[in-house]
Amino acid sequence: MQENYLAKWLNNDLSEEELAEFKKSAEYASYEKLIDVSSTLKAPDFDVDKALNDFKNNNPQKDVKVIKMNPMRRILRIAAAIAVIFVASYLYISTLDESVSTQYAERSEVRLPDNSEIILNADSRISYSDKNWKKERNVSLKGEAFFKVAKGQKFTVATKDGLVTVLGTQFNVENRKGFFEVTCYEGLVSVTFKGKETKLPAGNSFMAIKGEVLKTESPENTIPSWMNNESTFKSIPLEYVLNEFERQYNIEVKTQNVNLGQLFTGSFSNTNLNLALQSISTPSQIKYELEGNNVLFYAENAPK
Amino acid sequence: MDNVCEEEVFSSLFKTNSKTVFNYIYYKFGNEEKAYDVVQEAFVKLWENCSKVSPEKAKSYVYTVANNLYLNVIKAEKVRLKYANKSNDTSYESPEFLLEEKEYKEKLDKALNSLPENQRATFLLNRIDGKKYAEIAEMEGVSVKAIEKRMHLALKALREQIEGI
Repeated sequence: MQENYLAKWLNNDLSEEELAEFKKSAEYASYEKLIDVSSTLKAPDFDVDKALNDFKNNNPQKDVKVIKMNPMRRILRIAAAIAVIFVASYLYISTLDESVSTQYAERSEVRLPDNSEIILNADSRISYSDKNWKKERNVSLKGEAFFKVAKGQKFTVATKDGLVTVLGTQFNVENRKGFFEVTCYEGLVSVTFKGKETKLPAGNSFMAIKGEVLKTESPENTIPSWMNNESTFKSIPLEYVLNEFERQYNIEVKTQNVNLGQLFTGSFSNTNLNLALQSISTPSQIKYELEGNNVLFYAENAPK
Repeated sequence: MDNVCEEEVFSSLFKTNSKTVFNYIYYKFGNEEKAYDVVQEAFVKLWENCSKVSPEKAKSYVYTVANNLYLNVIKAEKVRLKYANKSNDTSYESPEFLLEEKEYKEKLDKALNSLPENQRATFLLNRIDGKKYAEIAEMEGVSVKAIEKRMHLALKALREQIEGI
C-alpha cells in the first residue's frame, strides 16, 4: 500500500489493485462506516449576510485611494536589486572552496593541485581551497575517503570528530555519525582526536565509536576493501554496518527486534545486492525481506 | 483592474470566504463566538490593507490572518466541539439501530475532540465542507502531501479511538 493510502482512498486515488487489497482488509468496513457517519456531520450555522452587516456597521467605508506607481521607477528598482544580487553572489562564490561530493551508491575520484589523489566513497564530501593550496594543504571531509598524498608540505584532513595530518602517504579516513576511523597504509599519519595526538605507522588503524577510542587490529590489505567493491568490518556494531549498506546500495533499511549493538565481523559485496544481504543476515542470525527500495531486517524468532 | 477597496469586490470576497474561515477556525478551536470574532477581525485586516492586497491574493491573505489570530489569542483554551447532526429527520429505522447510531456519533465526537487541531481541521474541512486537499493545503500554507498525511493519520486515529484499539 502506498503512503497515506487512507487519504488517497477517500479521494479515489487508489489503483484498482490497491483498492481491491484494501477492501479485503479487516479494517475496511470500519473505515467505510467512519466515512459514512462523518458525512452527516454539520458545522454550526453561520449567517453570511448578518456577518457582513455586522462588519459594515463596525467598519465605515473609507475613501478609495489608488496610488499609481511610476512604472519606470519600479523597473529601475528591480534592475538595481538584480544587480546587487549578481555582484553579491559573484563575490561570495569567488571566496568559496572547491568541493566534490558523492550521493548514495556513488563514488568519485578527485585530483588535487599537487597531484595528490582522493577517492570518495558513497555519501561523502570533501572541500579544499584551490587558491591557498600552495600555502597549506587542507582538506575537510564528511564521510569516507582514501587519500594518496604526494610528498611535500604538511597535509591536513579535518573532520568533525578528529584531525589527521601527514607528510606524504596513503591512508583512509571515515567519519560518519558517531564513527571515526583512520587507517594508514603507507608512511606515517598523525591523528588528533579530542585534543590527543596519536602516531599511526603504516599498517595500523585508529577507531573511535561514539567518542570512545577502541582497540583495532591492523588491516590486512594495502588499500581499503571498499575500493575493491567490498565493505569489510571487524567487530563493528551492526548499526554502522547497516548504515554503510544503505549508502552503498541507496536502499532504505528498516529493522524489527534486531539488536543493533551486536558486533559484526565480515564483509559484504558492494555490487551484488542479494549476496550482500545474505552476507549481513546469515552471520547475524537475522532474516530479511527485500521489497523494492526497502529492506526489512528482523529477528528470526520474533513475529513480524 | 479590480480593487479590494471597492465595496462590491470586498462584499463578494466576504460572501464567498467568510463561512469557510468560520468553519476552519471553529474546527480548530470549537468555539462559535470566537470563530465569529476571528472572521470579523480577519476581514477588518483585509479592509485596512485593501490597497496592498490583490483580489487573487485576498483569500489566502484572510486565511493567514485568521490563522495568526487563532494562534495568538485562543490557543490556550480547550476544545469542546459538537458536530453531530442534530436534525430531527423522520426515520424509519428500528430503535436499536438508532441507538447504535447515536452511540457511534457520540464516540465520533469524542474521538474528534481528541485529535490534534490540524488533523481535525483537515478532516472536517474535507468531510463537512467538501474541500479538496489542494484547497486545504492553500489554507494551511502547507503542501498537499502534508494534508494527505494529516487526513491519513486522522482516519487512523479516529478508527482506533472509536473501536477502542
